[in-house]
Amino acid sequence: MRDVAIAGAGYSEIARAVDRSVGSLTLEACRNALSDAGLTSKDVDGIATYPGGHDSVSSFYVAEGLGLPKLNWFEDLFGWMPAGITPVIAAAEAVRAGHCETAIAFRTVKRNRTRPPGQGFGGRVGGDAQFRAPFGDVMTSQWLAMWARRHMHDFGTTEEHLGHIAITFREHASMNPVAPLRDNITIDDYFASKIITTPFRILDCDFPVDGGGAVVITTEERARDLPKSPVKYVAGVFASGPRPDWEQWDDLTHMASKYAAEALWRRTDITPQDVDVAEVYDGFSWTALCWMEDMGFCAKGDGGPFFARGDARVGGKLPTNTHGGSMSGGRLHAISHVIECVQQLRGECGARQVHGAKTGVVTAGGGIMAGAALLSRSE
Amino acid sequence: MDRPLPQPDQDTEFFWEGLRRRELLIQHCDECGHWIHYPKPACPRCGGTRVKPKAVSGRGVVHTYTVTHNAVPGFEPPFAVVLVDLEEQKGLRLVSNLIGVPPGDVAIGTPVEVVFTDVAPDVVLPLFKVRET
Repeated sequence: MRDVAIAGAGYSEIARAVDRSVGSLTLEACRNALSDAGLTSKDVDGIATYPGGHDSVSSFYVAEGLGLPKLNWFEDLFGWMPAGITPVIAAAEAVRAGHCETAIAFRTVKRNRTRPPGQGFGGRVGGDAQFRAPFGDVMTSQWLAMWARRHMHDFGTTEEHLGHIAITFREHASMNPVAPLRDNITIDDYFASKIITTPFRILDCDFPVDGGGAVVITTEERARDLPKSPVKYVAGVFASGPRPDWEQWDDLTHMASKYAAEALWRRTDITPQDVDVAEVYDGFSWTALCWMEDMGFCAKGDGGPFFARGDARVGGKLPTNTHGGSMSGGRLHAISHVIECVQQLRGECGARQVHGAKTGVVTAGGGIMAGAALLSRSE
Repeated sequence: MDRPLPQPDQDTEFFWEGLRRRELLIQHCDECGHWIHYPKPACPRCGGTRVKPKAVSGRGVVHTYTVTHNAVPGFEPPFAVVLVDLEEQKGLRLVSNLIGVPPGDVAIGTPVEVVFTDVAPDVVLPLFKVRET
């Protein structure tokens, strides 16, 4: 097995609404990642993506669009998966195993403007949704809101705690030139924002945007000969628990993140205390809170106070979502979390740089599915 | 728009058919005694395939909830969605709504019991009301 590194990372244009196709955004992100790596499309022989709910383009689209000579490995990952981290882990493991030499992993998101959340259900509903939709339970925000509510009940987590998560990520976004939401907010702004489904307000939710991101993954040996300092892919995992179901899950105060954390830390001598920067999935504020607890970055139940004390701020104990996360940096389904971690470990982050950052964790997913990866600066 | 209605399949028809007879049926594993929801052709605890519907008491406790302020098909916001823990087994949960409780008064730990509620000529939903203890 070979050591693997992320050699390049790039975004497309990112904005609330971009009047371009999802394919055009994808190819821009991939070209930027290749250029960042100092490579060309002729060097690429592997591709992975998470096309989500069929809202993005496939590996083959990119192979054609970039004019790749051939593919030795490709994977389009559908269904309940931990979003944008999924193709990164899959591609890194493919390079590690020798299936391919250099792979692109990408995720592009184009907002659905034809219907607002929860409006797709009408008439007769099958599958598991037949047990939810007739009761008005149709949005992911409702499912996780119920998990958050149980956490508040069991551990004393408060709405003010959740507000501090939004404030922290917005402060970080204010130092990120590509973040779509860069104006700082106060706790009063938080409490004044519209309630979506309790305890979540609009400022607890990720911010939908159009855009994409891609990373280039190759062997660490090859990455050392490239212009940018390589970021080593130490380990990556996907995980879930004994009853992967949104309602029948055993303990709603732990997400699948608990199992991803166990699997990740088992794979390495690095411990949670060694981590310098954390980019954790924040589809909702509470998702990030639960990730911090389950990864062992704070005690179980201390996630709220952790954010309220400022421990997650740049300059704090463990800077978290230094790009603004999905809540203020835009909902790029965690590919932005991967890119931010790479840029932090290279020291490229300007005002929001975590000084001396050597080890970073990226996580994605919430509720019943989780993925996590450990990255470190190559010495 | 009206409230969405269930489209049963071969595995779930018994649940909706039972409700039309004012019975709350949950799949039960004859091999290990585990209650199984959502219905599946095998038991998630022991892998057994001798599973069949069995009536439950319809009594439970509110495990958690959310009060939704967004517009959702068939519902006038704000409204509460609850997860009810049925008394037969820890973690055996139904998504539902509470009758007779303003959304702001819904609380974790409230004892509840099923109310069979007609919402269409062929559909009865298991809603819940506060249970006097």
